[in-house]
Amino acid sequence: MSETLAALVNGFGVALAPLNLLWGFIGVTLGTAVGVLPGVGPALTVAMLLPITVKLDPTGALIMFAGIYYGAMYGGSTTTILLNTPGESASIATALEGNKMAKRGRAGPALATSAIGSFVAGTIATILLTLLAPVVVEIALKFGPTEYFSLMVFAFVTVAAVLGSSTVRGLTMLFVGLLLGLVGIDDQTGQMRFAFGVPELMDGIDVVVLAVGLFAVGEALYVAAYQSRKVEQLESLSGSLWMSRDDWRRSWPAWLRATAIGFPFGTIPAGGAEIPTFLSYALEKKLSKYPEEFGNGAIEGVAGPEAANNASSAGVLVPLLTLGIPTSATAAILLAAFQNYGIQPGPLLFQTQGPLVWGLIASMYVGNILLLILNLPLIGLWVKVLKIPQPLLYAGILVFATLGAYSLHQSVIDLLTLYIFGLLGFMIRRWGFPVAPAVIGLILGPLAESQFRRALAISQGDPSVFLTSPISVTILAITAALLLLPLILRLVRRPKVASSA
Amino acid sequence: MASAPSTRRTELILSLGVLALGLFSTVVAFQLPEAGGYARIGPNFMPKVVAGGLIVLGLWLLGEVLTGGWREATPDDPAERGEHAFLPSAFLWVTAALFAQMVLIQYAGFVVAAMVMFACVARGFGSTRIVRDLAIGLVLGLLVFLFFVKFLNVGLPAGWLEPFLGTAGT
Repeated sequence: MSETLAALVNGFGVALAPLNLLWGFIGVTLGTAVGVLPGVGPALTVAMLLPITVKLDPTGALIMFAGIYYGAMYGGSTTTILLNTPGESASIATALEGNKMAKRGRAGPALATSAIGSFVAGTIATILLTLLAPVVVEIALKFGPTEYFSLMVFAFVTVAAVLGSSTVRGLTMLFVGLLLGLVGIDDQTGQMRFAFGVPELMDGIDVVVLAVGLFAVGEALYVAAYQSRKVEQLESLSGSLWMSRDDWRRSWPAWLRATAIGFPFGTIPAGGAEIPTFLSYALEKKLSKYPEEFGNGAIEGVAGPEAANNASSAGVLVPLLTLGIPTSATAAILLAAFQNYGIQPGPLLFQTQGPLVWGLIASMYVGNILLLILNLPLIGLWVKVLKIPQPLLYAGILVFATLGAYSLHQSVIDLLTLYIFGLLGFMIRRWGFPVAPAVIGLILGPLAESQFRRALAISQGDPSVFLTSPISVTILAITAALLLLPLILRLVRRPKVASSA
Repeated sequence: MASAPSTRRTELILSLGVLALGLFSTVVAFQLPEAGGYARIGPNFMPKVVAGGLIVLGLWLLGEVLTGGWREATPDDPAERGEHAFLPSAFLWVTAALFAQMVLIQYAGFVVAAMVMFACVARGFGSTRIVRDLAIGLVLGLLVFLFFVKFLNVGLPAGWLEPFLGTAGT
């Protein structure tokens, strides 16, 4: 405990160093500015801004990234409230009430409760992260390749099969991601796989190219084809930004309850913020003294989901930093950012790169304060960003998207790959496949493979090792239950469905 | 719930696509060497698992098509999704924008490529003010070029504008 405190104090020393403070500030500002753009979720924001940090030292770059990650979350809520186009699934719950509030001329309090709620939830969640991370590290240090592999299988299955509308389509995207992860040199034997002699493929497929292709190019193709001639109503920011005494009284319990829901959901592989935001929405609706207001702009319905969103985004960092396991698409891209610097998150990171990790965690406390300042008084500025006409907005997004891909190898092949992933992104969106499993499969697949082979190397090729380690067998049993239970339930229920149809 | 024949056809094609990807990966995987070492499994093991998984999933998707269509499918009618009908011209303009950039970036440089791409994408999204779009694209391309090349030291091709921008790029 006191060790943690000392480490955190050191971390603040790192985070408050003038240059790092500057990178953090640039990060939250850019993150907010890009996150505000309609159609740009946190995953794309982080992926598009990745090239900007290439020349920074690792600590500065990661502090900037944490800022971008948090800023994108804050920025997204502004868009949702004023434009009713949730940039990502985690904002859908906020849109339900937030946009209604804006339509009734209460955009100000809606934005305020989401910004202050994000701050409260973000700060509490960061404290929880600070306390929980060293505990998880202690446990994780006892993990060998066997346990890691089982844990990764667990993450794959929950992200792909349990979440989303269709198990089979989720798993399909996971396996597409795993296949893409196989491209390039096998790091254990040097064997070239699925590269077909193309030099650009020998390095493997960059997660940034995949993410930007799926999210930016795919989104641009889709929106152009299906939504570009539709007019979106931008709600104006009129009236007071201030929350009334009544708004405060109704908001703060929602913030706290949402933090309690959001943080634990972030730490388990449950696909990020989508589930906790809806849970929080449902809970607030149930507990509210004004249930009749729900659907017409109830402030609890904004305060809760937004706080849950931010708490879970801090929670996501627990498995990412302590185990090296990303549980959302955005976390997968953050992991790629770490890997670009030759840093592999995991328990050892806390021992070998203490100042970096704790500097990063400390920078989140600072970032939350910066974001509160950026978002309340400067909200008018972000509203202006929202007024950019759609043609110019997407044209600009694609300039940055292609820039990121091209700057990897200065190669046109990467631009072609980007377009192919764009087509894939279009198809995914059109026919209801989830994106996150593909991104997570790409980045986590190679890590899972190497843990699997390492585990078997230790056991001299005996696969029963995954079932004899108590931790591993427990995790695998839970995984199997999660995967098989819905299928069994469906089989049991099938006769009834058939008779009622 | 039976779905429209056109939806069925698309779902059938996509399911067969996943199956084909699985079969293709299997062929590639079986050409990889064994070379196991202590682990007794080599670089060909994981590819076989992934290829096998894709085949199973392709068959699963196919099974859903043959038994009434994909479950929980996205509505086929754009109106039901709150969207307008597919606009081929918009899709093609965005595609053209990206391919124009691939060609131009090698000869004309990043700035010109960004300008043309910007205008094409804007056109795809329904903008009719081509001169304005080209101008904004040019300014944005220039700003990005200067920021990345002069400030971040990331190499970008200057192309035709090399006499003005210098050779700080590649």
